[in-house]
Amino acid sequence: MNKIYFIIIPLVLVCCLLGSNPKLQTKNPKMEENMVLLQDKIKKKKMPENPYENMMQGLKCQSCHAGDYPNKNDPMLRACLRNSMLATFHFSPEGPDEVVIDAMSENYNGVAFSHKIHAQMSDMSTGCSGCHHYNTSGRLLSCLECHDSKRSREDITVPDLKAAYHRQCLTCHKQWFHENGCSTMCHTRKTSNSTGSVQSPPSVKGKTHPPLKEPMKMVWETNSETGKIVTFFHNEHNKIFNISCETCHKQDNCLKCHENKKHDDYSGTVKIKKSFENHHKACIDCHKGSSCQKCHRDSEREPFNHVQSSGWVLKSYHSQLSCAKCHGSQTPYKKLDRNCTSCHKNFITGNFEHGKAGLVLSENHKGMECISCHTGSDFSKTPECKTCHDDKSYPAQSPGKRGRK
Amino acid sequence: MKNLNRRDFFKSAALGVSLTVLGTSKAKGSDKMLSDDRLGILVDTDVCVGCRHCEWACRVAHNLPTPDLDNYSDNSVFKEYRRPDAGSLTVVNKFENEKNPLLPIHVKVQCMHCERPACVSACIVGALTKGDDGSVVWDDDKCIGCRYCMVACPFQIPTYDYDRSIDPHIRKCDLCTDRRKNDELPACVNICPNEALLFGKRDAVLAVAKTRVKRKSDVYVNHIYGEHEVGGTSWMYIARKSFDKLNMPHLAANPAPGISESIQHGIFAYFVPPVTLYALLGTIMWITKRRSGDDDELISDEEEKGKGGKL
Repeated sequence: MNKIYFIIIPLVLVCCLLGSNPKLQTKNPKMEENMVLLQDKIKKKKMPENPYENMMQGLKCQSCHAGDYPNKNDPMLRACLRNSMLATFHFSPEGPDEVVIDAMSENYNGVAFSHKIHAQMSDMSTGCSGCHHYNTSGRLLSCLECHDSKRSREDITVPDLKAAYHRQCLTCHKQWFHENGCSTMCHTRKTSNSTGSVQSPPSVKGKTHPPLKEPMKMVWETNSETGKIVTFFHNEHNKIFNISCETCHKQDNCLKCHENKKHDDYSGTVKIKKSFENHHKACIDCHKGSSCQKCHRDSEREPFNHVQSSGWVLKSYHSQLSCAKCHGSQTPYKKLDRNCTSCHKNFITGNFEHGKAGLVLSENHKGMECISCHTGSDFSKTPECKTCHDDKSYPAQSPGKRGRK
Repeated sequence: MKNLNRRDFFKSAALGVSLTVLGTSKAKGSDKMLSDDRLGILVDTDVCVGCRHCEWACRVAHNLPTPDLDNYSDNSVFKEYRRPDAGSLTVVNKFENEKNPLLPIHVKVQCMHCERPACVSACIVGALTKGDDGSVVWDDDKCIGCRYCMVACPFQIPTYDYDRSIDPHIRKCDLCTDRRKNDELPACVNICPNEALLFGKRDAVLAVAKTRVKRKSDVYVNHIYGEHEVGGTSWMYIARKSFDKLNMPHLAANPAPGISESIQHGIFAYFVPPVTLYALLGTIMWITKRRSGDDDELISDEEEKGKGGKL
């Protein structure tokens, strides 16, 4: 038995498939007890050569529960960390190329799982957490920690190990059937000649997903009464607005693209009927409170233009910056105010070289507070002298020399 | 004399009716309390991939002839709707998924093991019994082959070995009684790669079903088939499509044997109504006979008179 664990743990470490801890999820009065057990498990299992040492964070009750006395009716759950964890500590190329799953190999040889190409594909849809579900912050959990290897068991709320593995595969590979998939891609029946070493079939081994052809502009003619034409700039959302694939494609089954059974023909996507809400969900999740006319127009939309959309002209310095520099890495990007000091925190009186703005301030003006001239902190508007000066010297004497310094 | 007869008639009739009513109420009250530990199986049609391994395992477990497991990959069987028969106690059918044509819905069919089984109530020799574990099983030795159970079943499940004319069997899922005696799971549950068949105590299984429907409310229709149908069944189903469209009969929550059983039990309760009926018939016969006896006497009188006249 120990031997088995010795094999499984490192395997799982390098992340094989899922690993769920529904005990954290279910509102179970025994939750506290389960949590303690889990913590013990984590403590007991010393992992050899842990490549993700920095991920080792002990799981405490407080990791999930905000209050001191969570109960069945009010578990006081915090926002679950499981989704952020993998994105934070881990990205797909870090994972192993191949993982051998042989926890349940009575009649069959172990299954060589081509982790690399799957991880790549998951980047386009569900992300790591698609398989490594319910994994809270901390190390990657072994499937076996939550999924019982015996089907006849006490807690039937969690699928057993056999089901857990199969569901992972068959959610996408639903068209696999015996010799047409299952036995060619995964399972080979044990024979007396079996050497014990398992490898991915050559069609998958070492392969990577071919680069995706990303659509640029998509135009649909809809049934909407006002504004039939909907234009969607796929490349803008991805490149300019920095939205990851999984933000929108999380629910997409691989079959949406891989309609055809044949491995070399992925032509055509499948139309999936959606309810009105689901149909708009992908857009509305970000564009909350936008009017229908934002998308539904009578003619095709122009590509994104910062001036038209926000009214802020990107000149000189700003035009060279990446979006994230101002808007932060969090997507969808938030609207910024026009207060320079919101971004330029160091633009305070005495610290700002006014020459960069095209006017070197004269001695008289140098020591003044910024907002003395730029009334209302509106730095986009050129200040008018007459708001301060009513004597006739204006405009003979400007507040400084024109030109950059 | 006539008045007395009529009174007797009403008396006996009233007695009969009252006993029938008494019998009916007794029949309802005598419903067996179901064990809390009774078993249940949830078929999650959204998890089932239609591999038909359950069909193979079932045949093997019940010593029925079967092709090799590798032959079950033939998809063409899904072309027409199949029902369980004497050679296959469970079958999987395929239904279209309008939302995504690539992910069809597969529905396994077998005996539902009703909580209040109509077949048990219909069986006149008690060959079918509802066990404490929730299974409805058939006793080879008691069965007389009347096939009432086949008519009574709301799901039309029990099948008949028409081939075996000498010693025919009623065949249906027995929840693998023999396997469970050896602490093994039912064959179909054991082999299912995806655990689309969730086996456990009915309460626990039902709780899981409720959670799944609630959590994935966008996927499943809000209906657990078998929770209430005909008073509840041991096998329960959840699906992403209305069960009417999955060829599952639309059934109300009242137990199927309710009406038939109360009539049947009422008629035969403690044998009083039949005895009453026979007594009534006997009385009528007796009266009629006596009357005809009077007539006979009259005739004989007249005959005597006639004879006398002749004389």
